[in-house]
Amino acid sequence: MKRGGREGTAAGRVFVTGIGIISAVGSTLTGNRSALRSGRSGIGFKANLESRYAGVLPFGAIGLTTGELRNKFNIDDPGVTRTTLLALHAFSDAISDAGLDETALHGPRVALVGATTVGGMCLTDELYRDTTRACDGSPFLSSYDAASVHLFLQSRYKMNGLATTINTACSSSANAIQFGARLIRCGLATTVIAGGADSLAKFTVNGFQALQILSPAACRPFDRDRSGLNLGEGAAFLVLEGEETAGRGKVYAELTGYCNTNDAFHPSALSLQGDGPFLAMHGALRSAGLSPADVGYINTHGTATENNDEAEGRAMLRLFETLPPFASTKPYTGHTLGAAGAIEAVFSILSIRHQELYPGLNFDNPIPELGLEPVLAYRQHPVRHVMSNSFGFGGNCTSLIFSNLN
Amino acid sequence: MLYIHQTSCISPQENLYTPNGPAGNHLKAVEPRYEGIPGNVLRRMSKSVRMGVGAALPLLKHSPDGILIGTGYGGMEDSIRFLNQIVAFDEGVLTPGTFVQSTANAIASQLGLLQHNRGYNITFVSRGLSFESALLDAWMLTAEHPGKNWLVGGVDEISDHNYRFECAEGWYGEGVPAGEGAAVFLLNDRPEGAIAGIRQIILRSGEDTEDIRSAFTGILDGEMPDLLLSGETGDSRALKWYRLAETLVGPQAGIMRFKHLCGESPSASAFALWLACNLPASLPAHLVKRSPGSASRLILIYNNYKLTQHSLILLERFL
Amino acid sequence: METIQLKHRLKQQIIEFLNLTDTTPESIEDDKPLFGDGGLGLDSIDSLELIVLLNREYGIVIKDLKEGRKVLVDVNTMVEYIEKHRTK
Repeated sequence: MKRGGREGTAAGRVFVTGIGIISAVGSTLTGNRSALRSGRSGIGFKANLESRYAGVLPFGAIGLTTGELRNKFNIDDPGVTRTTLLALHAFSDAISDAGLDETALHGPRVALVGATTVGGMCLTDELYRDTTRACDGSPFLSSYDAASVHLFLQSRYKMNGLATTINTACSSSANAIQFGARLIRCGLATTVIAGGADSLAKFTVNGFQALQILSPAACRPFDRDRSGLNLGEGAAFLVLEGEETAGRGKVYAELTGYCNTNDAFHPSALSLQGDGPFLAMHGALRSAGLSPADVGYINTHGTATENNDEAEGRAMLRLFETLPPFASTKPYTGHTLGAAGAIEAVFSILSIRHQELYPGLNFDNPIPELGLEPVLAYRQHPVRHVMSNSFGFGGNCTSLIFSNLN
Repeated sequence: MLYIHQTSCISPQENLYTPNGPAGNHLKAVEPRYEGIPGNVLRRMSKSVRMGVGAALPLLKHSPDGILIGTGYGGMEDSIRFLNQIVAFDEGVLTPGTFVQSTANAIASQLGLLQHNRGYNITFVSRGLSFESALLDAWMLTAEHPGKNWLVGGVDEISDHNYRFECAEGWYGEGVPAGEGAAVFLLNDRPEGAIAGIRQIILRSGEDTEDIRSAFTGILDGEMPDLLLSGETGDSRALKWYRLAETLVGPQAGIMRFKHLCGESPSASAFALWLACNLPASLPAHLVKRSPGSASRLILIYNNYKLTQHSLILLERFL
Repeated sequence: METIQLKHRLKQQIIEFLNLTDTTPESIEDDKPLFGDGGLGLDSIDSLELIVLLNREYGIVIKDLKEGRKVLVDVNTMVEYIEKHRTK
């Protein structure tokens, strides 16, 4: 693989050696891939959600109830929230996939970098009760915050290395991945399990509804008639390892580039020219020593809001002389917020692993000013480098690049 | 070494010689007039965003290449305000501003917005190790991008609800006041003109004595500090960790405590770092548990948060 | 309620709802643009908040932002719309 100068990086290569994922389209890696190949969306009107919007708005909901998730892991403690259970599901699959037994996780140089925006706020009704009455004896008090998710995993698996959580809204788990990679390259860890989780919550549904960016129908990224996003839930973790330890077992892909920037335009909208997205994508390419022409596919942020798709589309047109194939996978999973970066990183890696492109869904007409059309049908296609974008509230923009090993 | 060039702090204190004590077991921050924040922007801000932005503004004019914030509670108060609306209006028509301000990265993103700062922007939410995570990220950034400047801060506000939760769980009470504030630092890899340098940061979790002991011996590496800046409070359960720290820094080291000034909060260690950088030549008696023998050049800051989160910061002062 | 009184009341409500602590009702001219520089300087989040205000105080439902943009120009246009469509 041709690699030019890499600006702004410490030494060493970072590989993905294990994956765990659970989303609206599957609770296994194979299940998720199968849905992507066949263009089968997980968006629907059913949701494990106590809200007036359940059954009214479309969501990318996971079919398993919270009770079923608890039973699977033999967890009685009601303080372990749905978000944490989804994280546990993906985390346990990831470490098993990487061939890491539990003792391997105890070492001081095995780190955990989590991400979530909802945390335990999925317990919206319980939080309200706890804030309005004397809360002695509530089992939930230490479950509401974002940190509760990674702290549970750290404790359950007796992890002694660095553990932390990032919350930068919709780019959270993409940032967890770049932070984790840098821990390895700076010599602060040899193995990092990085990713994120978010569950559907009355709190976030109402927040996004107040912003008027939820679509009443299945979302239509980059379509002229798009009308907003669908919220989803899910979790994904990548096991990242450096060169010394990555040769043990399977290696899916290499994380070759990453960049985080700030659009700095508005608290909840991107600049129309997509400055933040442009800088993030450009920076990721530079960090990978690649040029735009090297990118074989872009997994866009593509939320199907009027603002995001126009801004991201403009940014892509500015950066790429010839735009590579691209699509958003949010019509499959919904917008999984804090988990999105990691879930979509997994989809990007699948694309590389199997040399294939997955179709965008619900697309009929391009945005007139942009004329962009996503991949519309599944096809096998040589893919060497995939770019995955995640842009969050507050203008937080992160772009990751995964590369084929050959 | 991570060099500290500028510091700024909003805390419950106006000066170190006549400290404010808690009222109702709260040490509330003394907020300035926030003249640098446009009224249009200030009106929306939650208290933690106000404090974080207000403390960081003087440092922002150095155009940092990145903004890194650690916050334990994030926008909890605004989250609950929004939650109350959800219930009061039965998921009806709700105001989005409160929701947007309730996001944990509202502080970092507002800082970026105010100065049109397009650099790296990140927020860590790891309870008592949030600020330390941000410091660690800055540490890596200085290695990866030599010559650049990084703004790192720890911010938390007392939320009435969090206070009640923490009391119910036994974390606040007699001798352990709740605190709030924002402490922000401008960091880079250049020693010239630096106030101080962070030699090492260690983050640890759990309650394994040998593991924590080895963290101390590792960070000190045979060189005893002049001063231990300790997060000891009236919480007797944490005393064993502070006693361990006091033993391991050796009998010559001075010992000072800081939480009677800033209160207990997930980002109290950010205040401790600010204090270590700004120690007056003549130390007020209320700070001192054991007098340092000489000028405090090498300072070990040890903080324990809720028994299981430990942070050690080894700081060398130049001024 | 007379139009003049309604205008004054609306200005007070806008100030309170949007927490415009530096502003008085007297300083908001009836035809002062609500959005953009040179006007009151509100932004897109404020427009959503004003839609909520119209709903809570006057029982008016504005379906989306496009409809809102036509109504939320200045105090005059808002009052005109309130007088026509209020249910409270």
